[in-house]
Amino acid sequence: MTTVSGGGPGGATPLVRLRGLSKKFGDVAAVQPLDLDIFAGDFFALLGPSGCGKTTLLRMVGGFTPPSTGTVEIDGQDVTRLGPEQRPTNMVFQGYGLFPHMTVRQNIGYGLRIAKASDAEIAERVGAIMTLVRIGELAERRPDALSGGQAQRVALARALVMRPRVLLLDEPLAALDLKLRKQMQEELRRIHQSIGGTFVFVTHDQGEAMGLANRIAVMEAGACVQEGGPEEIYLRPKTRFVSSFIGEANMLAGERRGGTVTLRAGIAFTDAGPDGPVVLVVRPEAIRLDGGTAGLGTTGRLDDVVFLGPYVRYRVTLASGEEIAAHSADTGRRAGMAVGAAVQIGWEAADHRVVAGT
Amino acid sequence: MARIAWGAYSGIIVLFMLTPLVLVVLFSFTDNALTNFPINAFSLHWYRILDANPEFWKAFENSLKVSLGVTLISTVIGTMAAMVLARWRERLANAALLALAAPVTLPALVIGIALLVFFNKVGVPLSLATVIAGHLVITQPFVILIVYARMVNFDYAAVDSARDLGASPWRAFWTVTFPIVSSTVIGAALIALAISLDDFIITFFTIGGGNTLPTFVWGKVRTYLDPSINAIGTILITLTVGSTAIALWISRYRG
Ligand SMILES: Nc1ncnc2c1ncn2[C@@H]1O[C@H](COP(=O)(O)OP(=O)(O)O)[C@@H](O)[C@H]1O
Ligand SMILES: [Mg+2]
Repeated sequence: MTTVSGGGPGGATPLVRLRGLSKKFGDVAAVQPLDLDIFAGDFFALLGPSGCGKTTLLRMVGGFTPPSTGTVEIDGQDVTRLGPEQRPTNMVFQGYGLFPHMTVRQNIGYGLRIAKASDAEIAERVGAIMTLVRIGELAERRPDALSGGQAQRVALARALVMRPRVLLLDEPLAALDLKLRKQMQEELRRIHQSIGGTFVFVTHDQGEAMGLANRIAVMEAGACVQEGGPEEIYLRPKTRFVSSFIGEANMLAGERRGGTVTLRAGIAFTDAGPDGPVVLVVRPEAIRLDGGTAGLGTTGRLDDVVFLGPYVRYRVTLASGEEIAAHSADTGRRAGMAVGAAVQIGWEAADHRVVAGT
Repeated sequence: MARIAWGAYSGIIVLFMLTPLVLVVLFSFTDNALTNFPINAFSLHWYRILDANPEFWKAFENSLKVSLGVTLISTVIGTMAAMVLARWRERLANAALLALAAPVTLPALVIGIALLVFFNKVGVPLSLATVIAGHLVITQPFVILIVYARMVNFDYAAVDSARDLGASPWRAFWTVTFPIVSSTVIGAALIALAISLDDFIITFFTIGGGNTLPTFVWGKVRTYLDPSINAIGTILITLTVGSTAIALWISRYRG
């Protein structure tokens, strides 16, 4: 997890301020009215499953899709009605959108040529940005002679050379294979740190969001369901959807009545909140199998033990039929655990979250 | 074995198709009074005869005016129409294409008569302008279909990128969209040119007075057939091949 220095909800005025922004395509509400603040220096992730409206939201910020309602403010200026060429943003598109009839150098210099920069300035800035994203040797190639990773870098350079106040990236790493993706993640962080810009990116990969962003907005069906730092979102998910989407989570069904939650698994504890069905969310690494727990616990049957290198994964089936996954870094202990035997599981109340819903 | 058979088969077909063209060109450069072997001598005799004929020059000029006008108009309008259609939903676009392409399925004779009746009823005097309008009926669908096929696979992210990098819609079109699809557009323009250049039937019904090259040849066939039509044929072949070569050269990838 990165802690990139920069804004944050506490301090200065936001660089990008979205208010009541929404988009309907016919009857489809692609983005429901939402408010969002993005601060200078942020590496901001819009995270959510495919089709939840991430691209639409990003395109509204970039000026490609006119919003149905709401406003987009950048740097204190209302840009809602401005076209993309009039906004201090630049975007890296999902398919990169490189110009096939131009060389890499011409692709990167395009924006500066439009802006009527001098030849000397174009040459200098294009050269510098190619060095920054490490594509100097590709300058005279055409896009169809580039690999996916190289095309990605060219698209990035072409946007960065414009020195945007906000760089928008739509699924920047989705088209790359796993190894390249990890490499480009490092690369993006290095670039973000070295130029100190503000990046907003869209991803459906929670690992990518956690690995790159200092702030994350989780989207579900066009709505922003939670927004905050990676740690906050991981440790204190507000809804069942967020907890299941970010990392792995155990979910235990139950009901709250008069401030007491009773789980189907037979555990009861006090927890203030409205009456109704609830789900208890607890991460696998918070579950202990040592019995002598001071927190909550129950017994179950150990069904599976898998050694995964840094940790061991246990699968336990409770009397309610619900399954619990537990991760333990103490890989030496698994020798003493017999599959099929009864085990005691437990966790500290501070490690779980109770969210409304079924 | 099968490969050899296919090769021979293709060879025969190509020979069958090219032989008349070769003969036309060959005999246009002789001074034979009939199109027959043996060849007496090679000469520009028939070209001189054509050159001395003002009717030929008038027909040549009319052909150029009509086919260039048709090419220009059908390419501009057809390209714009195709670009709009490519943004429509597929069902709707297909229905529109079907309607637009309907004239192509009709015999040219029917189109020619229909146009003649129409121009008469509306009171438009026949002229080269009516010929151009008539040709547009059959060239337009080809341009639209060809450019549409290119535009449905078009990567609009490139145009969005151009806008994003500061280009106005107009600038983005001329620096990105058009260069990417220019070879398709030029190909479509050439097809329109070829259709217009050798159309006889629609021209015949809509021209009123005067000739284009095809109606001029027809006039000669009716009166006295001499090998100067080989010279006209050679000129038409040169125009078609030449414009194709120029178009290919123009549409080369450039930086
Ligand atoms: N141009 C469009 N016309 C109609 N519906 C659209 C259009 N763009 C997106 N949608 C719909 O809006 C929803 C959100 O799409 P999108 O923003 O692309 O999601 P994501 O990027 O999260 O996968 C989807 O249901 C999609 O079908
Ligand atoms: Mg998307």
